[in-house]
Amino acid sequence: MYAIECKNLTHYYGKKLVYENLNFTVEEGKILGLLGKNGSGKSTTINILNGFLHPTAGECLIYGENSQHLTPATKERIGFLIEGHIQYSFMNIHQIEKFYSGVYSRWNSEPYWELMSKLKVTPTQKISSMSCGQRSQVALGLILAQDPDLLILDDFSMGLDPGYRRLFIDYLRDYAKANHKTIFLTSHIIQDMERLIDDVLIMDYNRILTQQPVDEFMKHFKQFVIKLKNPEADFPKNSMALNIERTKSRVEFYTYATLEEVKKFLSEHAVEYTSVEQETLTLEDAFIGLTGKY
Amino acid sequence: MWKAIIYKEWIKIRWTAAIFLALGILVLVNILLRIRHDILFVDAINYWYNILFRGYNYASMLKFIPFLAGLGIAVAQYFPETVNRRIKLTFHLPVKENRVLMGMHLFGTGSLLLIYAIWLILFVIISTVFFPPEIMHSTLITLIPWFMGGLATYFMAALILLEPVWLFRVLYALVAYGFIAMFYQRAGLTAYLPALPELAVLTVLSSIVVLFSGYRFRKGEM
Repeated sequence: MYAIECKNLTHYYGKKLVYENLNFTVEEGKILGLLGKNGSGKSTTINILNGFLHPTAGECLIYGENSQHLTPATKERIGFLIEGHIQYSFMNIHQIEKFYSGVYSRWNSEPYWELMSKLKVTPTQKISSMSCGQRSQVALGLILAQDPDLLILDDFSMGLDPGYRRLFIDYLRDYAKANHKTIFLTSHIIQDMERLIDDVLIMDYNRILTQQPVDEFMKHFKQFVIKLKNPEADFPKNSMALNIERTKSRVEFYTYATLEEVKKFLSEHAVEYTSVEQETLTLEDAFIGLTGKY
Repeated sequence: MWKAIIYKEWIKIRWTAAIFLALGILVLVNILLRIRHDILFVDAINYWYNILFRGYNYASMLKFIPFLAGLGIAVAQYFPETVNRRIKLTFHLPVKENRVLMGMHLFGTGSLLLIYAIWLILFVIISTVFFPPEIMHSTLITLIPWFMGGLATYFMAALILLEPVWLFRVLYALVAYGFIAMFYQRAGLTAYLPALPELAVLTVLSSIVVLFSGYRFRKGEM
């Protein structure tokens, strides 16, 4: 069963194509990280999923319902974190908890107050007067208290300091796995994702570059650093290389191929080199390797 | 659910509502003092003559107060929803989008009507102290378009505030200016009486235009 299923999604802003015939799914109980450069369509996808944007064509289903026409019962199952941790900041932490507890039938205030007890805020302090990090904790605490089945977290790590980010990620993963929650998230800080996500979906302009379990991706996607003998020599292009970044005699070769296959490719094209070495990649390195630095 | 939504709306508008309620009461007190002053120190006969034969409206100071209250309540209620597109949170609540918007609108309208009712009750009390029912009645009829204009202002301001595109906001503002100006034309006592049913129908119709802005927002207009 899929929590999210997007089929043949196409969207244009005016005449500008964002993507065409995009297809992806998120299985129930999985944590999927959506990665992409700025402008690759992450926010567009999130907006379509949350029903705030009508796609030009195609549809996204959430628990089998079109995301543009979700029933209240399905909306209750979705926790939505807006980019920038937007909340009703004209309220204080008590008022906002009182408000949401009257909205959601499965409301469990315990995780919320647990997080709030760590904040050094006064009971009557409005959320608008809190720091960015404090506001983010309020927004995240509210989502956990809502106890949704599906969490859609748009750039959840924005404004969190490194220690709290790490704490939150570990908490979120344990929470999701223990309670069979599905999470669809984006973040600009990719190094955090590695600890959290099961599956990765990497978008580039107009298309999906890959969607697979993050372990598989990290196992098979490789970076080879090739040192050329002649820094002026041309380097051949080949479909084996998903991306090539070159700085004089140093060539970063990103591929799913093995070391032997790369060496064979180099000898077939008579490339003279001094060394070929496989580098250890983080998810962030792999993301940059796949999408390119620019 | 509705209790929670009312709670949220109340938090947004409570101070604004209290300020405008107090402002209206202050204006009414001022009207009371003026009537007393004019009757006692100017000349009661002349004062009555002006009301009866020259169409003098002793409540004219109240004219734009309902308009200001309508505008103030709309801004207090809908502006916080537009900051950072916070209305997304409201539309994500487990209620149908149009229903939650109309619930908010109903609360705002109800609050405004309550404020207006308090003012009108005070106005009737003040009027009955100094004037016979016929004068009070004709002045009250003169006030009605101003109060309907206040409601129309609230409805149009909600439409403008929730509209996601600035160009459309400007266009709506121009339409709203023309529409609301109809309620505030310079006219003698009871001059609006024949037009009141039509104005009432237009006011009621304008109450649902906010749904259009809500629809445009959900469609992703930007």
